Amino acid sequence: MDLAVSVRNLSVQYGRRLVFQGVSFDLAAGQAAGVIGPNGSGKTTLLRTIAGCLTPRSGEVRINGLTPRDALARTGVAYFAGDATLPGAVRAARWGSLGNGDTVTQDRRPLRALSRGTRQLLGLRTALGRQPLGLVVLDEPWEGLDPDAGRWLSTIIETKRDRGAAVVLSSHRLHDLAGLCDVYLFLLPHQATVLRAHEIAPTEPVTAEHLVDVFDRLRGGTLPLRAWETEGREELRRGR
Amino acid sequence: MTDTPYLLRFFQVVPPVPPLIVATFVAVTGVASLAVATSPGRARGALAPVLLLQLFTASSGFAVPARRGHYDLLLTRGTSRLRVTLAHWVTTIAPGIFSWLVLAVVERLAAGDGAVLLASGTLAAIFMVSTLPWALTIALPRFSGGIGWLLLLVTMGTTFAEGVFAEWTVTSTRVEALVWPAWVFLIYPLGAVGESLGPPQLLAVAPGITLAAAAMAIACHWAAHSDIPLSAAQ
Repeated sequence: MDLAVSVRNLSVQYGRRLVFQGVSFDLAAGQAAGVIGPNGSGKTTLLRTIAGCLTPRSGEVRINGLTPRDALARTGVAYFAGDATLPGAVRAARWGSLGNGDTVTQDRRPLRALSRGTRQLLGLRTALGRQPLGLVVLDEPWEGLDPDAGRWLSTIIETKRDRGAAVVLSSHRLHDLAGLCDVYLFLLPHQATVLRAHEIAPTEPVTAEHLVDVFDRLRGGTLPLRAWETEGREELRRGR
Repeated sequence: MTDTPYLLRFFQVVPPVPPLIVATFVAVTGVASLAVATSPGRARGALAPVLLLQLFTASSGFAVPARRGHYDLLLTRGTSRLRVTLAHWVTTIAPGIFSWLVLAVVERLAAGDGAVLLASGTLAAIFMVSTLPWALTIALPRFSGGIGWLLLLVTMGTTFAEGVFAEWTVTSTRVEALVWPAWVFLIYPLGAVGESLGPPQLLAVAPGITLAAAAMAIACHWAAHSDIPLSAAQ
């Protein structure tokens, strides 16, 4: 198995604050990894480290055997960290042209004038427009998208993965991640657990309920859920 | 080098200089060109607002927009970070350089020989206002370097005797005689506009030029090697 992404005992910190430590997982070309964790657990930091924007305090990340910075020049990488990272003053059509040069949208309004979902979709289409792609790294990609756009995104991620790209995703929307990934990384404060899909659900596709149950077990199951988490969990139980 | 067109296109789409500043450059250049065309002797004064504007424009700040994720598309493309940084600098100073060149051409056409806008002192001043503020602001919010410089300038102008910035005439190459002119040039490079730098003056501007070049090298190295976390994720 050719390893596309190899993360070994990774630790990252901002100043004196340790964001996470001891993260290890492997991902082959054509596989997807889902990163799950509460706010502030280091999901964005992990993805940014894989994308070469951050240097680990210890441990290493290898993409096709190279450090992320070196790999960026040789491996087509699509990285998008959400609509908030788009410069608001830039016109939508011009931003869209930065992907592979093709027209993504004719809209000439500044990005700040677009709805959040439209910005998110434009950012994704621009980032995913690069060809060919060896690595796709998306941070909360379904946030703000309407159902149609969400389905488009899931389809395009599957397509990129099936064409051989390694995919790393983070999301709070477990029903979107479920079934899409081969590896799930649960990031909790001072604890990182990697489970393969067959370890979570040996005989059936992984569902959002599986992921919620694993997540609860990993954090002890005794911690009180905050209101929104309870509601989210009830939604999942109702079969959303 | 194959990524150079993309680099320039990226910073054309995501300009480090706000459109309002570019428009101000256009207006200032138009008025200054008119002044120089009608009275070439005003060239020195006509360049002053361009240099002042360049001082603030060059203070564009690289790290802040990068940490907001504005440059993610470019930074994850595999282009060397040093080239990204240099492209940022070039596109930052381009409006000011263009304005200066327009004024220099107008002056040359209006006055013929003896143009002050292409004098060596002018080149030194342009270099200073195009490099030092950019380097000083690399990790800071936009305009920080320009504001800091202006503060220093005003402090110096009010603390020392009136006309202090005219006192950079160099008459000796002795070290103690060069310190004050070198300091004045560093703080107020606009005073060198139009001067033809002889050996004593060159010795006086050398520390400032060297400092600006060193600051550029340090800033580029820092930007090329530093982490770029997302502000919101820290």
